[in-house]
Amino acid sequence: MPFLQLANVRKLYPNAAAAAVENFSLDVEAGEFVSLLGPSGCGKTTTLRMIAGFESLTAGQIVMDGKAIEEMRPNQRNIGMVFQSYALFPNMTVADNIGFGLSVGGSTKAAIQERVREMLALIKLEELGARYPYQLSGGQQQRVALARALAIRPKLLLLDEPLSALDAKIRVTLRTDIRAIQRKLGITTLYVTHDQEEALSLSDRVVVMNHGLIEQVGDPFEIYNFPRTAYVAQFVGTLNLLDAVVVEPTTGSVQIQEQPAHTTSLQDCSPGERIRLAVRPELLALKSTGQADENRLAGVVENIAFLGAVVRIQVRVGEALLALDEFNNPQLAVPAVGSPVFVYFARSSCLKLL
Amino acid sequence: MRRINWFAWLWFTLGALYFVLPLWGTLIFSLQKRRGVLSLDAYSAALGDPRFVETFVFSNFMAICTILASLLLIVPTAYWVHMHLPRWRPVVEFVSLLPFVIPAIVLVFGFIKLYSKPIVLLGIPLFPSLTTSNLSTNLLLIAGYTVLSLPYMYRAVDNGLRAMDVATLTEAAQSLGAGWWTILWRVILPNLRTALLSGALLTFAIVVGELTIATFLARPAFGPYLALLGNHRAYEPAALAIVSFLLTWVAMGLIDRVTRGTRDVVAGSH
Ligand SMILES: Nc1ncnc2c1ncn2[C@@H]1O[C@H](COP(=O)(O)OP(=O)(O)OP(=O)(O)O)[C@@H](O)[C@H]1O
Ligand SMILES: [Mg+2]
Repeated sequence: MPFLQLANVRKLYPNAAAAAVENFSLDVEAGEFVSLLGPSGCGKTTTLRMIAGFESLTAGQIVMDGKAIEEMRPNQRNIGMVFQSYALFPNMTVADNIGFGLSVGGSTKAAIQERVREMLALIKLEELGARYPYQLSGGQQQRVALARALAIRPKLLLLDEPLSALDAKIRVTLRTDIRAIQRKLGITTLYVTHDQEEALSLSDRVVVMNHGLIEQVGDPFEIYNFPRTAYVAQFVGTLNLLDAVVVEPTTGSVQIQEQPAHTTSLQDCSPGERIRLAVRPELLALKSTGQADENRLAGVVENIAFLGAVVRIQVRVGEALLALDEFNNPQLAVPAVGSPVFVYFARSSCLKLL
Repeated sequence: MRRINWFAWLWFTLGALYFVLPLWGTLIFSLQKRRGVLSLDAYSAALGDPRFVETFVFSNFMAICTILASLLLIVPTAYWVHMHLPRWRPVVEFVSLLPFVIPAIVLVFGFIKLYSKPIVLLGIPLFPSLTTSNLSTNLLLIAGYTVLSLPYMYRAVDNGLRAMDVATLTEAAQSLGAGWWTILWRVILPNLRTALLSGALLTFAIVVGELTIATFLARPAFGPYLALLGNHRAYEPAALAIVSFLLTWVAMGLIDRVTRGTRDVVAGSH
């Protein structure tokens, strides 16, 4: 039995034309770190808020640790929550913020002090217990918010875009810390983000959402390498989308911009059918010759962008524009804009999308 | 190099004169009770009058009661409207402004008409006449003052609530296990402190000088006393005006100290 179970959850806000969350079913195992990933307005926050108890469900069930919780009040669910805006109590010191939940729960002063010290050590801010929130940096405030949520030993930890108010460097270090703390405590965690890199790098599993619906659930490897829909493929990483016409489904033979090519995923297609293929930029290569079973498309270099470690080259193939990434190498010359090139890629690296 | 902005200074000076000249005049006048010399005679006469002490203490007590009553009424209401009925905010705001539109005289006559007889609803006596005993008339007085303070108190609380992220703070507290009263008492109220203090100060100023309601409810308040004095004496009212003005400034200074004091303590904890 999964630790947290959402079954056919639906949320229709009053006076809204469409449901914010629709038919949402997800099982989360104890100790798992699951991200909800999707663009703005896709219903991530709404889902999290229903689990926390701040929004009611229009339909469906939420079961946590064997108990249906959708009728419980938020202050009885024992779920820790971290907000994008930190939401520390401005009138309390860091220590009082962290101890708030325990003091509300009636713990003794000594027990609270002990737990606060433990939590401060966990977030590596031992020295700052006496400060007020406004005397901390954003990153420190969010650490305190995390400690405050964890101090009550919640059954579940919810984080709603906890890093999006911070700058890029802090975001990376703090997300690594959050994951380390989560692993150490083994707490089941739901993490909302619209940043695909964050979701992929942190999670055991990623839930990709679009317009209130789940598009795909899978581990980061699956989501990135085997996106089920064009939506997921495009949202997670950059992707080349190629219109193709099926020539022979059994052999995987297709035409891309009037050039012959092959793919490995052509089950239940018929000859002449128009389909859409996807290839990741890093799986494309510019070469003068390749292996016999590799796909080869002829094109013209249209643009070159130097991104540091990689060089992104855009190649025009008929009406399609392919982006491909090459590692930067000072010993090798990149082709000039306007020069004709061959783009090679493996048959298995081009996927048919739903 | 900063250039002196003569235009700004001109306006500042004009504003200051507008504000200071009447005060200065009143002050000088209040010192002239003894012909030909400046003296504090008017002050000792005014402050030595037992009725002054009596009415002043009474009005201060009423002011404190009014502040408590209006806090009790307005903080939970404004919080609730903020959290759950945001669309009703304009309506509540309008209601809170009604005391500006409806004169106090109308209010107090309404009170007298309604509460001077026992109130009976569908044959059941709800409560007896309120104007017959001093205690119950004082309650009426506090109710009237609370209405008068509504625009200031509501505005102060509303501003305070707008200045913090009430919804998220509430949710954070809820997720930590806190119920409504805990949230109001330990999270919302402490963060409203400055707002509440300024609302309380305005209420205080209004109540201590209030004339109409106190006169018609025939309570021994400071406002009616001051008016009476003004009819019979020349210098003492001026002296009392200066005294109340000073008291107001002291109160404001105290509030400033109290609120800045917390910030200092906070800043000192590095
Ligand atoms: N209180 C509300 N009343 C009505 N509609 C709402 C409410 N909150 C959210 N919505 C709508 O529900 C949909 C989902 O919103 P939600 O906040 O869950 O999106 P999100 O995925 O968290 O987006 P973001 O990344 O911008 O935070 C949106 O269309 C939004 O306009
Ligand atoms: Mg959101």
